[in-house]
Amino acid sequence: MWMYEKKLQYPVKIARPNPALAKLIASQYGGPDGELGASLRYLSQRFSMPMPELKAILTDIATEELGHLEMVGAIVHQLTRNLTEEEIKKGGFDAYFVDHTTGIYPSSASGVPFTAAYVQSKGDPITDLHEDLAAEQKARTTYDNILRFADDPDVRDPIKFLRQREVVHYQRFGEGLRRLQDKLNDRNFYAFNPSFDKGPVK
Amino acid sequence: MSEKDMLMRRLSSAQFAAWEMHIYLDTHPNDRAALMSMRKYEEKARALRAEYEKRFGPIRPTDMYGDTRFEWVKDPWPWDVECPLTLGEVDD
Repeated sequence: MWMYEKKLQYPVKIARPNPALAKLIASQYGGPDGELGASLRYLSQRFSMPMPELKAILTDIATEELGHLEMVGAIVHQLTRNLTEEEIKKGGFDAYFVDHTTGIYPSSASGVPFTAAYVQSKGDPITDLHEDLAAEQKARTTYDNILRFADDPDVRDPIKFLRQREVVHYQRFGEGLRRLQDKLNDRNFYAFNPSFDKGPVK
Repeated sequence: MSEKDMLMRRLSSAQFAAWEMHIYLDTHPNDRAALMSMRKYEEKARALRAEYEKRFGPIRPTDMYGDTRFEWVKDPWPWDVECPLTLGEVDD
């Protein structure tokens, strides 16, 4: 189970609204490589992990991703406060506004609603950990792309923190994959699903 | 930066350091130095959290220091911006 802490993992305090930027950053809430997908991916994949270290790292990183989801929501919320209709239109936020006003809704920057198709849970730990490594890199790329369009230091600071976390999680998943592969029977390197198949008989 | 923000920043730093050691230990469970380091930061975070909660309200739903009001519901919530022009801190 989970218990909430009434604080953000890293502070978000944005003085100047910017609906155009909010629209881009919202992709890390419910877009293809966003924090919602990340947390659901790891939370779901945990159940078929064969080693305690892997159950632990997936649980803990999934939990941290929920904290990042909250941070991204806070950034988008603070970037869309007290907007005039003129600012909404000028910032290209009008299409989002018609559907959600300034509520936080999980969708990509291009407006596609969140879908479970963004995540995989294959029941094979080697497959799943490779997906997780790729997912962390894709999220890191997305944060890099967001930083290209963000000038406001109030926004860049928490986005840079989130970007760094993707790098650290990539490292931890890589160690998890290495530990798993070290433990596999040398005749079972890649060939069988260690969570389902019995492996080669002698 | 307000005293409240400063204390929150110190708490978040200690929690972050402890968490970083925590997830490192997931994949290096036999690293004793890392375990010691995690415990040190956890202890620091625990003290700072208690100090923050006594002065500014609960961070965990089961922590409560006041006895007159159910403090958990009080603004600001983590995504709120405390802007003195539009939102005064509710104090009752």
